[in-house]
Amino acid sequence: MSEFKSGFFVGGESCNGRVLVVDDEPDIRKVVRMTLQKGGYDVLEAENGEKAIEAINSGENRLLLDVIICDIRMPKVNGIEAIAYFRQNYPRVPLIVLTGFPDTDMATSLLRQGVVDYLVKPVEGEKLKASVARAMEQRELAHL
Amino acid sequence: MTIFSPSIAPSQTESQGTAEALPLPPMRVAIIGAGRGGAALLDTLHQIGTIEVVGIVDKNPTAPGLQRAQDLNVPVFDQVSDLIKDRHPSLLMDVTGDPAMESALQEQVPPGTDIVNGQTSRLLWLLIQHEMTLQTELLHAEKLAGIGSFAAGIAHDINNPLQLILGLAENLTDETDLDAVHLQAGDIIEAVKRTTAICRDLTSYSRRTSLRPDGLIGVNGKLDEALKIARYAVALQDIEIRKHYQPDVVAKGNPDQLLHVFVNLITNAVQAMEHQGILTLETATVDGGTQVRVSDTGSGIAPELLNRIFDPFFTTKPPGKGTGLGLYNIKNVIHHMHGAISVESQVGRGSTFTLTFPGETSPQEEGSS
Repeated sequence: MSEFKSGFFVGGESCNGRVLVVDDEPDIRKVVRMTLQKGGYDVLEAENGEKAIEAINSGENRLLLDVIICDIRMPKVNGIEAIAYFRQNYPRVPLIVLTGFPDTDMATSLLRQGVVDYLVKPVEGEKLKASVARAMEQRELAHL
Repeated sequence: MTIFSPSIAPSQTESQGTAEALPLPPMRVAIIGAGRGGAALLDTLHQIGTIEVVGIVDKNPTAPGLQRAQDLNVPVFDQVSDLIKDRHPSLLMDVTGDPAMESALQEQVPPGTDIVNGQTSRLLWLLIQHEMTLQTELLHAEKLAGIGSFAAGIAHDINNPLQLILGLAENLTDETDLDAVHLQAGDIIEAVKRTTAICRDLTSYSRRTSLRPDGLIGVNGKLDEALKIARYAVALQDIEIRKHYQPDVVAKGNPDQLLHVFVNLITNAVQAMEHQGILTLETATVDGGTQVRVSDTGSGIAPELLNRIFDPFFTTKPPGKGTGLGLYNIKNVIHHMHGAISVESQVGRGSTFTLTFPGETSPQEEGSS
């Protein structure tokens, strides 16, 4: 993946941005990757919050990650804990929640914490790509 | 470590020394007739702390109530006169429905001994049947209330495969590589099958307990089935599950009810661990009987609460999170299976629930029930 550069940072044409997908289900990571790659995004995967935190802190990801898509119900560090960590340590990286369980209270609380979108599975590819595109805009605004 | 076993025998109930201990000595009741009615009456009365069943009598040595009485250590007689002489009951409950017994009793009982028979006895039988129906209903209601907490787990397990199906199907609309098409179509079929299994598990679990006669249940398989159901109610991802199963361990009872017992015990254990810890499931044959142990490394139960956890409507869970009927129902089911349940607990270390069931029943009892 290291050959990719974030579109935002390098202004390149090859990649619209780098997205980290955090979900314990390999199937979900696979389809999200498939969808986003078609949209021109570079996709990284992590199987739980712990791995996601490792991923974001390793190498160039720290600088080059544009959007995080995060599940809620996961082993080890769950989505809520991981999101709290990302918000605190990487407040400029926009977060999208992609969960199997629609929970209004949780959605409200997460949106208040600055999560840009709360998507409930199954979500259509177009909707997911639109959500990531909106998050990318936020990411750019945050850097202006 | 504090150990507690909910007692159904009156003397032990008193020895718990609860503040509400009644000043009256237990009522000394004898049951005349050990058929279905006598057995059910024995089961019900034996659960009431203020009643001591001092004996049961039946001329037929294979009457089901006599076997049950032996399990409960209640003295068994074949002559009413012997029972009266040996055990000095203060109340005789005649459930034989035999008019000759009515007149015979009148002649035999010493003054001050009351007799329940005839229509009164029939009324009692109807009340007991009603009570048994209520207990079954309560069990079902509590099970359905529990299923409410499955929503998050079910949503997770259905929406994840749906996401896969949707994503792959969207991709297939413009996929040109035929190999990829075949592969992805196969993935979709697998995802649909997984979703179907969820619905099958849950509809089977939520159905009303079947009224088929008790049979031998493979305990290990039932524990595994319970784990599958419990994972809808509680997140098991961070729980280490250790199974120590002895092969071919069986218990006699209703399989739906035993499944419900195991689901409840596993759910409680995981909740006590706040989603991290070790859940140990053990089965063994001990002294010819069956033993099942469910242990957790959770918060444990305070000694002062231990003798209340089997009481109806007692719960330590926040409002709306528990009915307080789980362990009460478990106790009733185990009791119905002629088994026993006990709990050992240490605050901060965890709890172990031990269930014991009598060994495989003799052909003699099989024939008479």
